[in-house]
Amino acid sequence: MIARQRLDDNPCRPRHFKPPPCSATVPDGPAKQALEACRNRLLVTGALFALVFAAVALRIIEIVAVGGGTAESQIGRFRIVAAPMPSHADIVDRNGNVLAASLDSPSLYGNPKQIVDAAEVARKLVRVFPNLRVDEIYAKLTSGKSFVWIKRHLTPAEQYDVNQLGIPGLEFEHEERRVYPDAALTSHVIGYTGVDNAGFAGVERALDGVLKGRREPLQLSLDLRLQYILREELQRVADDFTAKGGAGLIMDVNTGEILAMASLPDFDPNHPGGPDPDHTGISLADRMFDRVTLGVYELGSIFKIFTVAMALDYGTATITSTYDASHPIRIGRFTISDYHGKHRVLSVPEILMYSSNIGAARMAVAAGAEKQREFLARLGLLKTPKIEISEVGAPHYPAKWREVNVMTIAFGHGISVTPLSFSTAACALVNGGILRQPTLVKLPMGYAPQGQQVISTRTSEQMRRLMRLVVEHGTGTMAAAPGYVVGGKTGTADKVSGRHYAERKLLSSFVGVFPINDPKYLVLTMVDEPHPNKESHGYATAGWTVAPATSRIIERIAPLLGVQPVDESAPEVQRALMVESMQGKRIEAY
Amino acid sequence: MVKLSTLFWMLLVSTTGFAMFAVKYGVQSLEEELYRTKRATIAEEHAIRADEAEWAYLTRPETLDEMNRRHLSLGPIATKQLRITLGDIPMRVASSVASDASVEHPLDNALSTVPTPTDAPTSTENPTEDAELVKPSAPKALAKPVLSRRPRSLDELISQVAASR
Repeated sequence: MIARQRLDDNPCRPRHFKPPPCSATVPDGPAKQALEACRNRLLVTGALFALVFAAVALRIIEIVAVGGGTAESQIGRFRIVAAPMPSHADIVDRNGNVLAASLDSPSLYGNPKQIVDAAEVARKLVRVFPNLRVDEIYAKLTSGKSFVWIKRHLTPAEQYDVNQLGIPGLEFEHEERRVYPDAALTSHVIGYTGVDNAGFAGVERALDGVLKGRREPLQLSLDLRLQYILREELQRVADDFTAKGGAGLIMDVNTGEILAMASLPDFDPNHPGGPDPDHTGISLADRMFDRVTLGVYELGSIFKIFTVAMALDYGTATITSTYDASHPIRIGRFTISDYHGKHRVLSVPEILMYSSNIGAARMAVAAGAEKQREFLARLGLLKTPKIEISEVGAPHYPAKWREVNVMTIAFGHGISVTPLSFSTAACALVNGGILRQPTLVKLPMGYAPQGQQVISTRTSEQMRRLMRLVVEHGTGTMAAAPGYVVGGKTGTADKVSGRHYAERKLLSSFVGVFPINDPKYLVLTMVDEPHPNKESHGYATAGWTVAPATSRIIERIAPLLGVQPVDESAPEVQRALMVESMQGKRIEAY
Repeated sequence: MVKLSTLFWMLLVSTTGFAMFAVKYGVQSLEEELYRTKRATIAEEHAIRADEAEWAYLTRPETLDEMNRRHLSLGPIATKQLRITLGDIPMRVASSVASDASVEHPLDNALSTVPTPTDAPTSTENPTEDAELVKPSAPKALAKPVLSRRPRSLDELISQVAASR
């Protein structure tokens, strides 16, 4: 210590001179202890640092090697919270054609506080949106607010044009909009949506919960091509016979899938409340009214297929039974008479062929009220139909089933059902007796849902033969589509007006099934209040109005559905459709 | 010695520091690029959805019908166009066959050179027979089918060949 001090104190020591180490001076006592403590502390601190660095190193290895570089960015401005997903899934038809889509639709708003020359901006905007008015925009832009809507739901082209103007203070708010490319074509089925894309009608409303938050489009059983053909033909009938409206549907008889469903007049779901240039003078409520699922009608003679099926299935009549139709029936204040009167005793096939009200009434009376009611209930005609649409109509039928009711219900009066319920039940009559729930959602290929056996397969086979007879020789000859073996039944009902039946107001309908020897599809057509024209020789009955339309529809849709036409005179077809009671005799000779 | 190690550590520190910042900025620019790409993808997806809807609008049956009427005038397929089967197509009649009976029917020649199909469902049950049939040079496969009578149509010919095997 003394030597060092002496050296350091030496002012003459050269700057770079290092004195040789002195003899080690080992402090002892409290100094040594202090040095030890320092060393220990240093060691602990070093160890701690080493630990922390090891942790950092491990984390880096984890991120790079183990995590595979998927670490999410923690930088707020680069974060995209969620991938864009429309709030409601698209709706497509069975072939994948878009029926409803959610599109990103920007809306234009302005911030007047940032806009310098409001008059100039207004003038520029009107150039992009010719149907806006300069003074209105100017008033909005000078209102002093900080947010004013200028135009909602722009098209991509309009958005581009506004961006091209490059005006500061104009911004876009991204909103979603439901678009229906086919407009009125599928209006009643798809329905429409309101604000926030909430479903207001049709499938949009009934399946709102399914559509919400779904990624894949919802595939319906509808076939757009068939829908177009059906609607076009219905429109043609409605125009030809200056009718008030029309309705129709095409159904797969073996699965219950609805391939087309149309109701006229209709509306554009893109502008549900807007005026329609095609339908001036028709109220909005009337255009929105779905005649297939919501409307309940006394369908008239097409109901006779149920009367005959009931009698055959319960065994109260056989195919050879006869009923006296020579005189009208008088019951209470009603008189039941025939439109195509033969004034003689008629067999069961003839009652259906010539559409005899008297015969059908007698057949139903022979079976009794109990059986008739039970049978109609079994076919689901006495309850509200269930389908993926919330607008469904409940049937109207007498609370007390009296004899007069039995008689009128036998030929389709005194009971009102939806055309949808009718078609569902008619499918069961021809498909081997299995009643299946109608559906608008596409079923997997080759899958037929579990049904309920409502009539025997034998009755179903007899009904097929009888319905063929109607088209071959009866009231529905104009529904024939050669090669497609159409079977069906005509129905012309007098419409109820107040408490009475209106003579001149008809509801003509036709139910057709093809090919009836191996039923695949059912076509129901209905026209509301048709008026006779020159071509129909003064008739507005089903045989002259909707039967020819059914023929045209079947001829157009059968090739699309892959139904191979056959030679109708071929022995195997004839054999499959021969009615036993006639034993091969021609109907005129019978 | 001390100087050297100090220099080494300082160099290491500055290199690491530089590398760290380089990586950091690299990552940041990548993040920016990713963000831009994601934004572009979203915009693209929206555009695709709009295009799909537009396609659906432009190809709706009404438009197609109108276009067809204007440019093509195609009509629905008539029933009689669909009723034709293979049986309705007549065979080609060789003019020499009709006069000279000794001349072999051209069809017979054609049949003898063409190996008959070997997918008969009964033969697949026996593996040895099957193996024999598969060989194109096997005499059995080339055996000329005995036709009971001259076929009048393709359908008849096919059924006759099937029956003779």
